Amino acid sequence: MKFAFFHLMPYPYLPEDFDERYASPSLTFPNKHFDPKLGTQLYHRYLDELEYADKLGFDGIAVNEHHQSAYGLMPSPNLMAAALARRTENAKIMVLGNAIGIRGNPLRVAEEIAMLDHLSNGRVVSGFVRGIGWEYFAHSINPTRSRDRFNEAHDLIIKAWTAEEMFQWVGPNYEYRYVNIWPRPVQQPHPPVYIPGAGSTETMKFCAERRYTYMSVYAPARVVRRWFDGYRKAADDLGYVPDPEKIAFSVPIYVADTDEQAHREARPAVEWLYRKGLKQSPQMVTPPGYMSLSSLRGVLTAGLRPFAELSYEDLLAAGQAVVGSPGAVAGRLRELYSELGGFGQLIGLFAIGPSTHEQVTRSAELFAAEVMPELRSLA
Amino acid sequence: MTNATEQYLELAGGRVHLLRGGEGEPLLFLHAAGGAGTWLEFHRLLARGFEVIAPDHPGFGGSDEFAEADGMDDLVFHYLDVMDGLGLDRPHVVGASFGGWIAAELAVAAPRRVGSLVLLSAAGLRLPDHPVADLFLMPPGQLVATLYHDLAIAASQFPAEPDLDFVLAQYRDLAALARFSWAPFLSNPKLERRLHRITARTLVVVPSDDRLVPVAHGRRYAERIPGARFAEIANCGHAMHVERPEEFAEITAAFLGERSLAASS
Repeated sequence: MKFAFFHLMPYPYLPEDFDERYASPSLTFPNKHFDPKLGTQLYHRYLDELEYADKLGFDGIAVNEHHQSAYGLMPSPNLMAAALARRTENAKIMVLGNAIGIRGNPLRVAEEIAMLDHLSNGRVVSGFVRGIGWEYFAHSINPTRSRDRFNEAHDLIIKAWTAEEMFQWVGPNYEYRYVNIWPRPVQQPHPPVYIPGAGSTETMKFCAERRYTYMSVYAPARVVRRWFDGYRKAADDLGYVPDPEKIAFSVPIYVADTDEQAHREARPAVEWLYRKGLKQSPQMVTPPGYMSLSSLRGVLTAGLRPFAELSYEDLLAAGQAVVGSPGAVAGRLRELYSELGGFGQLIGLFAIGPSTHEQVTRSAELFAAEVMPELRSLA
Repeated sequence: MTNATEQYLELAGGRVHLLRGGEGEPLLFLHAAGGAGTWLEFHRLLARGFEVIAPDHPGFGGSDEFAEADGMDDLVFHYLDVMDGLGLDRPHVVGASFGGWIAAELAVAAPRRVGSLVLLSAAGLRLPDHPVADLFLMPPGQLVATLYHDLAIAASQFPAEPDLDFVLAQYRDLAALARFSWAPFLSNPKLERRLHRITARTLVVVPSDDRLVPVAHGRRYAERIPGARFAEIANCGHAMHVERPEEFAEITAAFLGERSLAASS
């Protein structure tokens, strides 16, 4: 089992009347609520936490991309990865991922990841995501083109990394007469690719065909099980069994010295994440054409309850957060391992909502010292 | 006979679903973002004096996707194909909202194919000082409140508890709209300076209480289309031909009836 420390870099200082006044911390939440002084402190604190995770022995440290949101302060994950590259030693630097569905220039992504591969001495992991629904509003990208833009940008980036001859690219979304990137990446044929999935069978097949790592996002374990099974089935259809490492379970994790302390401290943080951080309207989640009708039908009939309706206890029971003493957390993760039919990577969201720096570092320390050794041999 | 019959028209890129009814000079009706595949009271009333032909746009209602069509220029060629396919040489063209935008583009691109033109709360112009409200971001309740002046009428147009098929059909229509109008948002920046090409007799109608497309858009259409007539109707919302069908059918029919297609050719 491999372990990653994933940071969303939330801006936790929401106004008192946030719940009543604002539909979401994203897209239209006024940026007058961003205090630049506090923001500077947060960036340094959060980067410190990621660097510390490297020292603690996490196999990976992970960042991601979000726009116009207090939910996550990383419009450019590559900048964060660059800040980490020369101050960390061992951990993979996981960009999970670049939102190539909304980027205007995928060649720039290929170039930046190749640079990061050099800065990190070959430690970069390149995730690709389509970008969340509201980001199609934020960056004025047509959501009906989302999958097509994602697929084309992906194909272009892979070819740019691997081709040994200059080539031209002519597609429906992008045209380049000269593709010839400098630098080429260190890792050959290219850095490992991770793709988060949320139930789309197209994505499972896409990952299985390319032997990419398929990772889950916030969902009840019973639903994630279906996704992982879908990925395993897609691999089986192609005649192979995926390496366990190619299946990554991501989940918020909070560890404290005792169960009582852990729950007392994690409850407000987990509730913040699901009720405030992820608060958004259906129009923001699925702008028109962002999902295929069959995927939307699947989502609407999956019996998923809105995050706002889920209690802290519901979230724990469903495997949407793992909280407790080191022993309890190890036990619960073992259960989830069986429930999900196995996975070879655990991507833990350790900095949850308004958790303090002391809480996050203590949680990561306990996890590294007492939980990782328990689970290391699972997969 | 003012009821509709349902037809399909086969084109190279797919199948167009259309409703047609009534007798008289042909009237091509181009529907708004909503309303695909629906024979409205407005159609029924117009069909007393015209042969009303109401196709569903690509990706809307019962029409196929026509996935390659992703811009307004494609829609203009599409409707030229539809007119050719139906043998409509030079019909009256009436467009509402998004359909009004298509109608204006059609009259710009092929002035001789449009006998007369009626634009009902038409979108399509880019007027940064008079922004069109973002219907894509509105929850259903807010969208309804934006489209209608009289919310009691609005309530009657939508099911209180929509079933899954209704939700998916709405999503498909909205996705088709987004395909053509996400950015530039519900407009073609070049349209305004091309409006002088329109030769059809034109009536521009706006509702005074249009909370989606500000009245300034209709005024600008009327200023730029040579000889266009302009009418502003009080106490009415954007979806005016649904909200007050008698009044708008009468205004439309009276204008179109003033001069026959043969006389104006």
